[in-house]
Amino acid sequence: MKGPFYRLTRDLHLYLGLFISPFVLVFSVSVFFFVHASTPIVAPETTRVVSGLDLRPGLATLSGRPLVDALKPILGRLNIRGEIGFVQKRVQDDTLLIPVSIPGRAINVQLHLGRREATVVTRETGLADALMTLHKSPGGHGPDIRMNWFAMKAWRWFADATVYLIFFITISGVYLWAMLRAERRVGLVLLFAGTVTFFGIAYAVSH
Amino acid sequence: MPSATEPPAKVQPAAPPQAGFDRWNRKLHFYSGLFLIFFLWLFALSGLLLNHPAWTFHEHWKNRQETNYERPITRPRSDAVEDLDQARDIMNQLGIEGDILWTTPRTDPSLLEFQVRRPGHFFFIKANWLQGSATVRHAEVNVWGVMKFLHVFSGNVADDARNHRDWALTYLWAYSMDAVALGLIFMVLSSVYMWLQLPQKRWHGRIDLGLGCLSCGLFCLGLRWFF
Repeated sequence: MKGPFYRLTRDLHLYLGLFISPFVLVFSVSVFFFVHASTPIVAPETTRVVSGLDLRPGLATLSGRPLVDALKPILGRLNIRGEIGFVQKRVQDDTLLIPVSIPGRAINVQLHLGRREATVVTRETGLADALMTLHKSPGGHGPDIRMNWFAMKAWRWFADATVYLIFFITISGVYLWAMLRAERRVGLVLLFAGTVTFFGIAYAVSH
Repeated sequence: MPSATEPPAKVQPAAPPQAGFDRWNRKLHFYSGLFLIFFLWLFALSGLLLNHPAWTFHEHWKNRQETNYERPITRPRSDAVEDLDQARDIMNQLGIEGDILWTTPRTDPSLLEFQVRRPGHFFFIKANWLQGSATVRHAEVNVWGVMKFLHVFSGNVADDARNHRDWALTYLWAYSMDAVALGLIFMVLSSVYMWLQLPQKRWHGRIDLGLGCLSCGLFCLGLRWFF
């Protein structure tokens, strides 16, 4: 009979592993979509035009986070929720192009400042796109504007938690394996083979 | 209390096929974990770093080392008609290896501008064979940059058919990523199977797995329904 530390580690390994398993599947399955990217299928889109918008003056002079914060109530009145991406300004036609995303849905808002009008194009991009969006969120680009929607802020916590729990699960897994004397030899061979494979490939591609 | 990580107490001589499957499922669970452990640590750590660009300790691009040089080149061989073949010819002449990234549309048939990338190294090449020379800007980044680039190094660029894998080692790394993903999927499924063999842990496990599925499903499917 093993001691209490072993039993505690074993139970935590099991229960925490079960909790993060759906997240691990999201990150694993989406890898295939990234690695074997093909020409995306353009999903059917719906378009609507909303006029008579109440726009605050000086909207076009803003940029970065202040612009995103200023756009949120406007988009809210258009009944659009989601993560606001990088906003493009088109000076010649006095327009802001605002991408908004929810995992599995892409919304492009063309905001005509002079006409106080918005053209909203919505595409349902599906589960594969949702998994890819989640996999690369929050990501390394535009840290000052990213995670501007509460749901994606929450996703960041889950994504971080998945990483920390993977570290715990792998380290506890090594401990649990090391306690199995009968499996040590084969395990050591595989650990060594994996280490050589990993560092061999990483060295080959980076030197 | 029996455990998924403990060997069966006694192995009967005529064990039913189910017992053999259970044993191998358990063995393969930790064998694959041990084999993939460094891959998992790389992708987990680099994923965390990519999600936290504000953490300054892993800054790689600002800390890069750059060298600029110019080398004589000759016109690509006559059978190199496509951009990719001409770029490979120029890379051979310059002794540069890596995956090609096209960033600018081509306007002049005697001028070829492209990037070559491999983890840790970025080459910005402008080749002009009418002038008989190529200028190269070589940026080398630190180990954090190598790790983060390995995380995303598939050779493909989303929504850009012009950029695809064109280096043998990119294929090797891309298929390694596939293998790691497959290994992880197997480990998840095998762990669920092992948990189902433990009746006394089913109730707690159901709560855990249920909470995980609920919270994850909310992001994958639920957000579209609620908003």
